[in-house]
Amino acid sequence: MNEIFPSPAAGLFGRRLKRERGHRVPVTVITGFLGAGKTTLLRRFLATPEGQGTAVVVNEFGATGIDDALVRSSADETVLLGNGCLCCITRSDLQQALRRMVIERERGELPDFKRIVIETSGLADPSPILQTFATDRALGEVFHLEAVVTVVGAETGGDTLSWSAEARKQVILADRLVVTKSDIAGKSAASKLSTILRALNAGAEILEAINGALDPSRLTEPTSDQRNTFMAEAVHSDGIGSFVLTPDQPMPWPAFAKAMDTLIALRGPDLLRVKGFLAVEGCLGPVVVQFVQHLAHPPVELTAWPDGNRQSRLVFITKNISERQVRDLFAAVRALV
Amino acid sequence: MPAASNPLTQTGEPTTWNFKLLAQNDLGGFGGMGEGMAVQVAKDGRRIIWLAHESAPKNFTGVDVSDPRNPKVIVQTDLPHAQVRSNSLEMSGDILAVAYQTQKTGMKPAGFELFDCSVPEKPKSISFFDCSGATSRGVHQLWFCDGEYVHMASGAPDFKPSHPQDDQFYRCIDVRNPSKPVEVGRWWMPGTSATDNVAPPPRHPLDKGYRAHNTNVYPDRPDRLYLCYIDGGMFVMDIKDKANPKMISHWTNSPPYTGFMHTAVPLFDRNLMLVTDESTENNAKDWPKLIWVLDLRDETHPISIATCPLPPVDAYANRGGRFGAHNIHENTPVPTAWKSDQIVLGTFFNGGMRAFDISNPYQPKEVAAFVPPAPKGSTLGAIQLNDVYVDEREIVYTVDRFSGGLYTLEMNF
Repeated sequence: MNEIFPSPAAGLFGRRLKRERGHRVPVTVITGFLGAGKTTLLRRFLATPEGQGTAVVVNEFGATGIDDALVRSSADETVLLGNGCLCCITRSDLQQALRRMVIERERGELPDFKRIVIETSGLADPSPILQTFATDRALGEVFHLEAVVTVVGAETGGDTLSWSAEARKQVILADRLVVTKSDIAGKSAASKLSTILRALNAGAEILEAINGALDPSRLTEPTSDQRNTFMAEAVHSDGIGSFVLTPDQPMPWPAFAKAMDTLIALRGPDLLRVKGFLAVEGCLGPVVVQFVQHLAHPPVELTAWPDGNRQSRLVFITKNISERQVRDLFAAVRALV
Repeated sequence: MPAASNPLTQTGEPTTWNFKLLAQNDLGGFGGMGEGMAVQVAKDGRRIIWLAHESAPKNFTGVDVSDPRNPKVIVQTDLPHAQVRSNSLEMSGDILAVAYQTQKTGMKPAGFELFDCSVPEKPKSISFFDCSGATSRGVHQLWFCDGEYVHMASGAPDFKPSHPQDDQFYRCIDVRNPSKPVEVGRWWMPGTSATDNVAPPPRHPLDKGYRAHNTNVYPDRPDRLYLCYIDGGMFVMDIKDKANPKMISHWTNSPPYTGFMHTAVPLFDRNLMLVTDESTENNAKDWPKLIWVLDLRDETHPISIATCPLPPVDAYANRGGRFGAHNIHENTPVPTAWKSDQIVLGTFFNGGMRAFDISNPYQPKEVAAFVPPAPKGSTLGAIQLNDVYVDEREIVYTVDRFSGGLYTLEMNF
């Protein structure tokens, strides 16, 4: 409606927001391999004041339903997705469950909830969940993915990461990593695991939780300004690598958009996650951009740079795409646009 | 997918959604607040919010909000008697203008007073402009932002309304010499003066009067007055010649709505206008009372294009007191006020304070709400948030009409 009622206060992407999620319901995804301690962590969180008003969506794999039984008594609402692994078949189930929750809350059939926690099955690849919030227009209007938290058991985590590609992906895509059971595993094992985790994901905050005890804010606070430190390009097994682009000058939005369009068109499936702050010509605050494979979240301009540092920083997690290739593409597109 | 309002705010239960409460101060037990809020940055750098009270015994209160997490009352003044109220105030520089309205016509003090607040702890009276008279209750509301003119809803000793309820009309007072305020212009809705040749307007069922309420003037268009006239609707006025205000256009929603048009805030860059009703009846008997969005591309022809979405009346009607629109943040043209044409913040009595995103003015969207529990000392069993002001630091101030006093908040959207 800016054509009819223009506003100099509106930016390139509409109203500038104080935080990326604006008014939307925050969603935290807790992932981690079987037995890592996701449910313990969640149960402790739900018992804190910060956990009040949380609705829990549990993704089940198998028929026992034990995870669901544990949380049902303490959460305001639990939705059980029983179709197995989220990454395979239940993305539409997740969408339907979230839609249903909002509608039922609107009708007063569900208690109010201020936040949603999705606990994935141990075998789940979190990518489809990230895609859910990028793609579904209705969900994107109501919900915002605030943080992906991956739980890793200190006792067996290192071993699991050595043989499971899904477990590695859970770590690589995380905003925060929570190491559990370090009291059982011992300091040496925990320290070794931290080294492995840091190698897989240099940008994520690594936290420790004994018996699920964790500062609740680590499950509720956004993480978009966490990846502020320099991160060297790292290539892991499976060809998955990560690097940070830090363009010095504000970029014209068309140049950035065309470069990302090209990258998506050529290698969309290999863009596991791209997220960060971009200084855009004509914008006052940073533009938060986020891509999951071939899907782009709507960009959001913030009212101010969170830490006063106006440096663009874009974290790329890719498969068999190098930092050099992306830099060259950006330079080439920028020269043409 | 419902998105216009948030279910969290729909049940009537206390909630804080996308605001962060910083502090509450009951103002020394005199926390029944009116609809006057102004922020001063004193010469020593302190930030003082001046607050009008809903009714006697207090006149106005100054609160140091330099640290909004720890507001401190620094001065609180008294009214001369219980049958006068000072429900409205505004500040320009260090000069505070305070409106006095009496319960009945013919009483005193009825008018407005100017105070020098350069030493905030010691407001010093500069002058009093007397509006008392046989048919006048004095000043209900005033607007004073440019240091030069007070625009106000007032009675006058020489004005005889055609109906006793219609005693307050628009008056413009030159205060460039604050010691000697002088009236320079006035206007009333045709038919409301006993001397008019026009028939008096028909009474509305709730009959709150055809009288002026908010009288907003902005430096963007110093020749325009945006005037709400309670049961008479909203008028866009040409005040280029202050001595002869002329009506440019008129818009009303009543009937079929139930009158009491309160505030008109133009959004100049966007050619939009916000207009509020005031709920004045307990238990939502005058529902719906709303914030209206008007297309003002042609100021001679305002068109209503939307209203800000409110929760179901059933959830709030019987929670105690009033439920419905009242004051909004008015983008007051002073350096200490936040200005936005994207967000509207309004108070809704027991519906709390709510923020709406109007970036698409055809579809306002609720983005935050603050519905605190009934404050200590409330006899109603529910909050009655009455007014809201946002300073240029984006700190939100809102006040309770009965006992809660001042609440300070941050916006998180």
